[in-house]
Amino acid sequence: MMRRIPTALIVAALALGASNQAIADTSGKRIALSNNYAGNSWRQAMLRSWDKVTSQAVEKGVVSAADAFTTAENQVTEQAAQIQNLILQGYDAIVINAASPEGLNGAVKEACDAGVTVVSFDGVVTEPCAWRIAVDFKQMGKDEVLYLADRLPDGGNLLEIRGLAGVFVDDEISAGIHDGVAETGKFKIVGSVHGNWAQDVAQKAVAGILPSLPEIAAVVTQGGDGYGAAQAFKAAGRPTPVIVMGNRHDELTWWKEQKDANNYETMSVSIAPGVSTLAFWVAQQVLDGQSVPKDLVVPFLRIDQDNLEENLATTEAGGVANVEYSLEDAKAVISAAGG
Amino acid sequence: MAVPSGSAAELDGVDKSFGAVRALAGVSLALHNGECLGLVGHNGAGKSTLMNVLAGVLVPDAGRIAVGGTDLTGRFDAAAAHQAGVRCVFQELSLCPNLTVAENARIIHPAIRGIGWRRQARDLIEGQLDKVFPGHGIDPDTLVGDLSIARRQMVEIARAFSVTESPARVVILDEPTSSLDTVVAGQLLDFVRRYVSDGGACVLISHLLGEVLSAADRIAVMRDGGVVALDRASAFDRGSLVAAMGSVAEERGIEAAASKRASGAPVVRAKPKAQSDAVELIAHRGEVVGLAGLSGHGQTDLIVQVFEGSGGAEVSGAVALVAGDRQSDGVFPLWSIAENISIGSLRRFLSGLLLDRGGERTFAEDWRQKIGIRTPDVSAPILSLSGGNQQKALFARALGSAAEIVVMDDPMRGVDIGTKQEVYAMIRDEAAKGRTFLWYTTEMDELRNCDHVYVFRDGVIAADLARGEMTEEKVLHSSFRADA
Amino acid sequence: MIARVLTPRAIRSALPVIALAVILVAIFWLQPRTMSYFGLNLLLNLAIPIALATIAQMFILCVNDLDLSIGAFVSLVACITATWLHDSPLLGTLALAGLVLVYAGVGALIHLRNLPSIVVTLGMSFVWLGLAVLVLPTPGGKAPEWIRALMTLKPAYVPFPIIASVLIAGVVHFALMRSAYGTVLRGAGGNPKSLERAGWSMLKIKMTMFALAGFFGVLSGMALVGLTTSADANIALRYTLLSIAGVILGGGEFVGGRISPVGAVVGAIVLTLAGSFLSFLRLNPDWQIGAQGAILIIVLALRVLISRAEARP
Repeated sequence: MMRRIPTALIVAALALGASNQAIADTSGKRIALSNNYAGNSWRQAMLRSWDKVTSQAVEKGVVSAADAFTTAENQVTEQAAQIQNLILQGYDAIVINAASPEGLNGAVKEACDAGVTVVSFDGVVTEPCAWRIAVDFKQMGKDEVLYLADRLPDGGNLLEIRGLAGVFVDDEISAGIHDGVAETGKFKIVGSVHGNWAQDVAQKAVAGILPSLPEIAAVVTQGGDGYGAAQAFKAAGRPTPVIVMGNRHDELTWWKEQKDANNYETMSVSIAPGVSTLAFWVAQQVLDGQSVPKDLVVPFLRIDQDNLEENLATTEAGGVANVEYSLEDAKAVISAAGG
Repeated sequence: MAVPSGSAAELDGVDKSFGAVRALAGVSLALHNGECLGLVGHNGAGKSTLMNVLAGVLVPDAGRIAVGGTDLTGRFDAAAAHQAGVRCVFQELSLCPNLTVAENARIIHPAIRGIGWRRQARDLIEGQLDKVFPGHGIDPDTLVGDLSIARRQMVEIARAFSVTESPARVVILDEPTSSLDTVVAGQLLDFVRRYVSDGGACVLISHLLGEVLSAADRIAVMRDGGVVALDRASAFDRGSLVAAMGSVAEERGIEAAASKRASGAPVVRAKPKAQSDAVELIAHRGEVVGLAGLSGHGQTDLIVQVFEGSGGAEVSGAVALVAGDRQSDGVFPLWSIAENISIGSLRRFLSGLLLDRGGERTFAEDWRQKIGIRTPDVSAPILSLSGGNQQKALFARALGSAAEIVVMDDPMRGVDIGTKQEVYAMIRDEAAKGRTFLWYTTEMDELRNCDHVYVFRDGVIAADLARGEMTEEKVLHSSFRADA
Repeated sequence: MIARVLTPRAIRSALPVIALAVILVAIFWLQPRTMSYFGLNLLLNLAIPIALATIAQMFILCVNDLDLSIGAFVSLVACITATWLHDSPLLGTLALAGLVLVYAGVGALIHLRNLPSIVVTLGMSFVWLGLAVLVLPTPGGKAPEWIRALMTLKPAYVPFPIIASVLIAGVVHFALMRSAYGTVLRGAGGNPKSLERAGWSMLKIKMTMFALAGFFGVLSGMALVGLTTSADANIALRYTLLSIAGVILGGGEFVGGRISPVGAVVGAIVLTLAGSFLSFLRLNPDWQIGAQGAILIIVLALRVLISRAEARP
């Protein structure tokens, strides 16, 4: 029973086997990005970040190649075939934004069995042999309330703008907000509307509920809805509360105007599309022989009063504030997870 | 001839209506063992319907059916008919073109099964083909779709006579010779005689009266869904048959018109691909040019060349085609009669970007009357017409178009004699108005309507006969090689 | 002698195989590591469910119908396989058998009511998809161990996908092309009227063909889950178009009962490989679908050219 296994794969397997040794050279390694979808601005920004960071890494000789592949139809079987092709092309690591958390497990298993490192992010996979860089949306919601507790020591009434009803992300963020409220004990949520993560929907929803509400101290949001809320308050002639923003360009622009005009103060938080670069560095670290826990958490991109201008300048009109991660950021994430 | 003994099949008081049309009106007909019954009548007289009832394909509204002395009324369907030994060669070919000749034999013989069934089927059909059409040259492993229409018909006929478990007691032949050339048709009629002398029974439906008169023992004439005459074949002649069918035998009133060749340039000039000498087909304005010879000797190819203007054919003027194989080349089966007629002249009904449906209908109605298509309503589906009437619709399509040249690929196949006479007259009429016709036909009678006849053999023009010099003998002579 | 072997018909039926050879050579050249037991296994394993779905589609095309629901159906089967069949095999088996019966019922409906199959199956595709979401609202489930074991089998010398493809093509070829009853089934596509006149029930034939399609759709869904380990209600939606393309690429035609099981399996493999080939070429993914279409058009154009040569010997 003779089976021919490509040499590169044996080398990869050996490198993994030798992961206790502190440093293995990754300059000969090739990393691929398998992406299921590229049809919105967030994904486009994600691909641009990948391209920017990895091309520098390739130039510096950290890795020998880092190519991005996107499936055309956002279909599970298509991405499974793509992953199998990437295995055949001899990549040492595959970074995946998956079309389905479960449907790719067979292909991921094939990759692991062939000695390929698999790192999933954003759309993560459940196959145990893969690494996962997940977003802790609950924490994001909680962070908003914790910030407000600092800003408003006396507490007050909160208006919550939720996302798209029935979506997992909406439930998670909202749960985090309620946790935060319970924990700090200072706030009372007096109203809740669905803004569907869109400015126009949020504006209409807030305008509809405002007349029935008492004085609002702050608005907690999910991103994409802060600007609409501000417009609704302005139209109703009510004082502008502290509105937590979501890193969108229009939100940041409005905040900047208010800051310049009357020293308005708030914070903004969301997930940066550049998380793909974090996944890249994590994959590099695994190939490097570092001990990396299987489950990692994405840090949020948080914008505060002092770094607002800086972030606004790098965000393009209609886009989302972005950040590309460095090797050091990745190491910090890994050590935070106990690696 | 042995005296007919025993009943092969019996139809008693059979009634069948399609909507308002009463296709069979209480028909009674008995078929004896050892006889060939000729069945003649106009298109739409009910012949095919009657035979479909006998073959179990159509269930009659009323009446009794018995086969081989057993009353099968009420439990008679296609399977029962087959079991009882009734076989039918339908007017529309009913082989599966995607199967081989041998596989098609298997379709009607469920008894062929198990390991080695292919060999059995191959031997069965090949043996039967040898018996009916000696020297047929058909390989049982050929796909039927690859065979010419004549060979398909030969396969279907041989298949109907082949025997496995169930006997072939009654064989119905509906226009069996319509696609066959004279020689092969002769072989078939010879075989039918042998078959009935061995005790088989056969129904022969044909528009070729000579064929029926010579091959049948008895002849039944149908008209308007009933049998109007039934007697020994020898009691009829051509004239009395035509009279019984209800159409008047038209004596040819074709006076030797002066040749139109003397003046003007030809409108069509074409040469078969295989032709090595200088002979070419020429047609002048207002001429009816016949393409004769045995079927499948290159006539259709030349017709297509002229129609497409390919293969070096020089054609001046628009060309319309009347197809011979109407199932595959002619009708749009899902369309109405009106749509089928007007498709050749759609441009005329354009009003802006839309079609003028009313004008289209009037046009079709006009042609329905002119050419005598038997239907109460031109917006009925084309498939509601009998085969001959469908062919009339195709004629209407070509003649109704603005084309100056009309090419016809054996268009009168399976059309009754009355219709034929009407169409002949119309062709002569249109030719007199300046239209040119190229007419491929396998029937000698039709050639008499032509001003000029080219006889084809082995893909080339073997003889070029002006009307004055054209005789049946000359055409036949040129159709066969001198050494054959 | 050579002239006799190289008839246009022979070339035409060899066309899918030639396409397969060309694309395989191109892939081996681009990516030599695919030329191994391991490589072929990865390259071809996802072709097994596609080949099975293509065979299912072929049964439908054989009787002049078209199945626009096969992708959704395979997805539903995948969902049932990853849930019921895994948790309670008896219930799962009954459900899958029931689905095959429903397929036969759809065939009966199309025949009896004389409905266009495109409309009926398009409607059914929403039914299948809805059921799939009901069975498995969020992606997940688990492949039954035995299916997983079968699909990841590593036999000696020859990779499993190749053995499976040969087996599928061989069994269906024998049943449909060589057996006596298979001939009748194909004849139903060529000339249904003739079959009825010969005393065969078109109703039974349609039901048989649709049931066979359902059966192979079930096999396809099970094989797919065996490869992916879990299911998703949308997992196989693209199989609908892939299966139609596979049959046509393999020498089948939309009407007239002209089909080829071996060709269909080869066609499915060629389409799968075309995806790999284009990704090895590093073609922009937006162009990949177009390029896949181009391959289809090239092969079909060749077929037309050969058919023309055939018509004028």
